Amino acid sequence: MTMTQPIGSPVSSGDVALSVRNLKTFFYTNKRCNKAVNGVSFEIKKGKTLCIVGESGCGKSVTASAIMQLLPTLSRIEDGEIVYYSERGDIRLDTLERNGKAMRSIRGSEIAMIFQDPMTALNPVFTIGFQIVENLRYHTALRGRQLRDKAIDLLRSMGIPAPERRVEQFPHQFSGGMRQRAMIAMAMACNPKILIADEPTTALDVTIQAQIFELMATLQREHGTAIMLITHDMGVVAELADDVAVMYMGNIVEAGTVDEVLRRPSHPYTRALLDSVPVLGRGKNQDIRAIPGSTPDPFDRPGGCQFADRCAYRLEACDAALPAETHLSPTHRVRCVRHEEFANGVRS
Amino acid sequence: MTETTHEARPRTRRDAQFDRIRAQEEAGRLNHPSGSRLLRKFLNNRLALIGLILFTVIVVTAVFAPFLTPWDPNKINLRAMLQPPSWEHWFGTDRTGRDLFARVLYGGRISILVGLGSAVLAAIVGVLIGVYTGYVGGWLDAIAMRVSEIFMSFPQIILVLLLVSILGQSLVNLMLIFVLTGWGGIYRMARARMLSLREEEYVLALRSFGLGRALIAYKHMLPNALGPIMVNVTLSTAAFILQEAGLSFLGLGVPLSIPTWGNILNVAQDLRVLQNNWWIWLPVGATISLFVLSVNFIGDGLRDATDPTQQG
Amino acid sequence: MLTYIIRRILILIPMAFAICFLVYLGLELTPGDAVSYMINPDALGSMNPEQLEALRQSLGLGQPFHVRFWVWFTNLLQGNFGYSTTGGVPISSIIATRLPATLELAGVALVISTVLGSLLGVFSALKRGTVTDSALTVIGMLGVSIPEFFFGLVAILVFGLNLGWLPVGGRSMPGDITFLDRLPHLVMPSLVLSIMLTAGVMRYARSSMLDALSRDFIKTARSKGLPEWRVNALHGFRVALTPVVVLIGFRLPVLIGGSVIIEQVFQWPGIGNEFISAVRSQDYPVVMSIALLTVMAVLLASLIVDVLTALIDPRVRLGA
Repeated sequence: MTMTQPIGSPVSSGDVALSVRNLKTFFYTNKRCNKAVNGVSFEIKKGKTLCIVGESGCGKSVTASAIMQLLPTLSRIEDGEIVYYSERGDIRLDTLERNGKAMRSIRGSEIAMIFQDPMTALNPVFTIGFQIVENLRYHTALRGRQLRDKAIDLLRSMGIPAPERRVEQFPHQFSGGMRQRAMIAMAMACNPKILIADEPTTALDVTIQAQIFELMATLQREHGTAIMLITHDMGVVAELADDVAVMYMGNIVEAGTVDEVLRRPSHPYTRALLDSVPVLGRGKNQDIRAIPGSTPDPFDRPGGCQFADRCAYRLEACDAALPAETHLSPTHRVRCVRHEEFANGVRS
Repeated sequence: MTETTHEARPRTRRDAQFDRIRAQEEAGRLNHPSGSRLLRKFLNNRLALIGLILFTVIVVTAVFAPFLTPWDPNKINLRAMLQPPSWEHWFGTDRTGRDLFARVLYGGRISILVGLGSAVLAAIVGVLIGVYTGYVGGWLDAIAMRVSEIFMSFPQIILVLLLVSILGQSLVNLMLIFVLTGWGGIYRMARARMLSLREEEYVLALRSFGLGRALIAYKHMLPNALGPIMVNVTLSTAAFILQEAGLSFLGLGVPLSIPTWGNILNVAQDLRVLQNNWWIWLPVGATISLFVLSVNFIGDGLRDATDPTQQG
Repeated sequence: MLTYIIRRILILIPMAFAICFLVYLGLELTPGDAVSYMINPDALGSMNPEQLEALRQSLGLGQPFHVRFWVWFTNLLQGNFGYSTTGGVPISSIIATRLPATLELAGVALVISTVLGSLLGVFSALKRGTVTDSALTVIGMLGVSIPEFFFGLVAILVFGLNLGWLPVGGRSMPGDITFLDRLPHLVMPSLVLSIMLTAGVMRYARSSMLDALSRDFIKTARSKGLPEWRVNALHGFRVALTPVVVLIGFRLPVLIGGSVIIEQVFQWPGIGNEFISAVRSQDYPVVMSIALLTVMAVLLASLIVDVLTALIDPRVRLGA
């Protein structure tokens, strides 16, 4: 099995935890084919945070599900590869059987996931303790009393008060923030190498959001966990990310380190996203611009650049074909015909 | 280059199906479907379509019974008793020589009238009360709710038989009893739907325009509750047909002088008829089953088609 | 938990009372002299008109309606339902002799349909979209569409008359002593009675299971690397179970209704059989008493359902 080197990015699997190359994942509901993820490449670096940003429906959650092989029945990985660089060697996750033994031994132990809404993501009829212990039982040698103790330890290290009592309680007895902490405890139970967080704070209050992110940052420092954080919030990206990938309609339109993308946005969509976020301290007269139009119908996509219809810099060339990926630096890449002029500040 | 562990995933039938859809999609052959989404979903449901066809066939043959058979369903012919099916008598004859094909067709008229008619009447009563009390609330709501609770705590057939014993056996009484015992379910459903619709913004908007309560409830809210109501009508049609058949089979439904599907089956309680004269009970039993089946298929199709959480 | 149960009971009491009142109203409005069902007919026969009048007074029959109702109601609470107008037997003793047969029949049918229905429904949901699933769906549809008495007739013809494997009716033969002796009699009626219920439970269990499997926590369970059986059986089925239990409780009216007809088809000497003969002979006291009994059974079942749901669903139990 040989692997093609992704253009420009150095393959030094030493510091990469997981790499996704040209991933295509299509959905087949209602006898139609929705190309939800259409050729996406990125790397998650060990101990670092990769943020995937985009509007809802852009394919960011699908990408996460594809990595975990948690896609719905009527969808499949069409093309590309997902390689997990484990201590036992490199594993092609995309070729593993969906719920087969190999995949299951990775899920929850080496790659864990937390979800958007901790209320629905936790099973309402089992205690928090039971749901944490379940994970430990399948991936560790702990048994009996040790399992419970470990669960209590985990809850305590997530900052949940009175964990001895909490471990016996049901999800509905927890507040939203506490539930998400419990969810993180469950995900961190086996000390995973990679944590995938799919909009973990969207369902929570703003003050709780900050606490959860702080907790995640602390855990990353302590355990060296690589985090793939899916969000639609540019503020969160600025706060937490080491690397950023901006997704739009199934493609990564721009990716790079957080500095590159936020300081020198080279795709009109990235800039539009940044312009639509109010900045604290800039006062109420700041220029906040909404992105005009709405995302296209996934079954009736534009022929070329997916963002063309909403783009203020549109040229004829934009409609011809999806712009190729261009590297502005070894890490910074963009899919835009006019990226050069655009990066130099040309307007329209 | 790094060593990669790799295990092949077997291709399944689903993969082939996906390939086909993908090829069509890429060839641009899949377009946005036009027309009513509800109708399309319903017609795409094979079972619902079969149900609709069966239903239509049975109803049409019952309605046009006089054109389809020369026999009078009540004409006793003592020279042609207990004849097995023949060219002359397609379903044979019963113990008094009456043509069973004619009886099944004419019986269908009454049975369908009782089933469908009672279901529609019960729905009208239930919806009229439910829509109003659900939207307006108050003491009327409280009373209607209690009454329906009492009605619904009786097993339906027990209540029906109890009322039959009090009111006596007749076609009108039976329909009256079905309406009386059947309105509760649809009332509660319509009411619950109204309660949730009441909080929706468009209703608040209409109210702020100063529209009358009855107008808002019946003109603007009722159409949004029609889907589940239609499903409920089909399901109670099925239930009433089965109940009529059961009651008439026991000799407690429609008076035996009127042919109905259940009344034709009544004689099968006699083990000799059951064993020796299959043509008396089998065709009509199959007809009842097919009709109820078709109604249930339609009901299921309607439910799926009107359920916005189901894709289609 | 206890306060929860008590609260449920307190809600049921006015309901039960209202139904008793209605049933009494029915008794008052139907033709017939109240004395005939309140007094043992043997005693009644030996009375002269003066004694009868005195009796009427002592029974409160000359009193206003609410007093008469109260006399009837207190009798009822002591288990005294009055007398059958046709047989002259105390209704309580009719019920006592007939009830065990019905409970036996209904109990077996309930167990069969619950177990078989939930298993088939869950299986169908797990096999969603396959030929097995479609086949089970159509079979379930047939099960709720074919009249149960028709099933009964076909079963009698095939297994009773033609094959001669099973008795065509009744609950026992003379000389049958143990339950095992009577078992052949029970097989057909209980299976036929359970067909419609099984189909109903199956359809419901399938949609409940599909609903549970579509929830986010199923994805969470998979993301923990649990094996599929555990995801389905523990996380899926356990959650799907609550509505199925509720449904089974609410199926009791269907079960009672079904057993009325099935008892008639198989000449099973139960309450339903008695009810039909009472309706035929317009023996109103018996009709009303049995109707009252079934309503109480339904109310009791709804109470049991509430308790069971509380037991299996912590959200209800802990008052979320």
